[in-house]
Amino acid sequence: MACLPFYKLLISEDEYMYSVRDTIENKEIGLIDILDVILDKGVALKADLVISIAGVDLVYLDLRLLIASVESLVQAKQEGRKTISSAEFDLEKEALIDATNQPDKWKN
Amino acid sequence: MEDLLYLYGLIPAEEGGQSLPDLKGFDGIGDIYTIPVGKITAIACNLDSEMYSEEMLKERINNDMEWLQEKAFHHHETVLKLSRIYTIVPLKFCTLYKNQDSLNTAVTTNEAKLISAFDLIKGNEEWNLKIYSDDKLLKKQVSENNPTIEAKKEEINQLSKGRQFFEKKKLDKLIESELEAEKNKISEKIHVGLKEYVLRGDVKKSWSNEVTGRKENMTWNGVYLVSKTKVEPFLEEIQRYEKYMKEDGWKFEATGPWPAYHFTSF
Repeated sequence: MACLPFYKLLISEDEYMYSVRDTIENKEIGLIDILDVILDKGVALKADLVISIAGVDLVYLDLRLLIASVESLVQAKQEGRKTISSAEFDLEKEALIDATNQPDKWKN
Repeated sequence: MEDLLYLYGLIPAEEGGQSLPDLKGFDGIGDIYTIPVGKITAIACNLDSEMYSEEMLKERINNDMEWLQEKAFHHHETVLKLSRIYTIVPLKFCTLYKNQDSLNTAVTTNEAKLISAFDLIKGNEEWNLKIYSDDKLLKKQVSENNPTIEAKKEEINQLSKGRQFFEKKKLDKLIESELEAEKNKISEKIHVGLKEYVLRGDVKKSWSNEVTGRKENMTWNGVYLVSKTKVEPFLEEIQRYEKYMKEDGWKFEATGPWPAYHFTSF
């Protein structure tokens, strides 16, 4: 019998492979995944994101609008780092407001 | 004017003794630091109240998606690093307090709730599972194998050509709704199956394709609180589903461990 180093006798072959957990933990996380988690407490996903100072609500953001905008930015970047002009952004924003049939919360 | 406080998370005071890693705050200049509030320790950073005024935040979030992206990553990375060291109740993105007094009041009022939250998440991890489906492929399967649709098809075949045209349109709608029902049934079954490995499991809203930017549809967005010792079998179970269902047009994407954003609230 070939002489195996001591630790190899103790560790089964499986343990030499990466665990599923390692594989997942090392994977890159997308922005949408992050926003899905850090903006959302789950239950309130349909509700607005509230930025508040000392309990006084400052900004209400429609999460769908926000995420759609972020997504279009990510896509624009992938297509050769084309940036979206503010006029284009406004157009998209209006289209989204129309589509979601929600009042324009972006107005100051 | 006094600085604002940007709050990242809350930890049990007894863990506050461990040294805080050197991490830059939200503005990239100041450091994050701990603030003891009774049995709880808050982890926060200062923000210039003039630079981070209501108007500025509104303006940035409204018009500067790159800024939002950078700051969202900053928040995520900071809380994630902290969650590797402490039992942390993570705070939502952009939780700001006017001053330390208002933070103290908020923490003190919620002390009991926070302590039970620490108990719930200690030794456990939050994992997310998104299930995607190739609806074209599934639609084909549903239209070929579903008894309700089979019966309807038979019925249509007996009709005149003119009636068939309209009935086929209706059939398409029926296939669509049967497909949705089938997808939900399968996803729910998986969710229930996975619950055997977890302490808690919840369902979140699924995102549309415009949001995910993918061609497959998100059929399930589940979030689970899993004991550290059960994470590996939980993930292996997901892998098994993936293996058996991949050819039928299903994709499984697990992410984690996340700080327990979903299973705690403040």
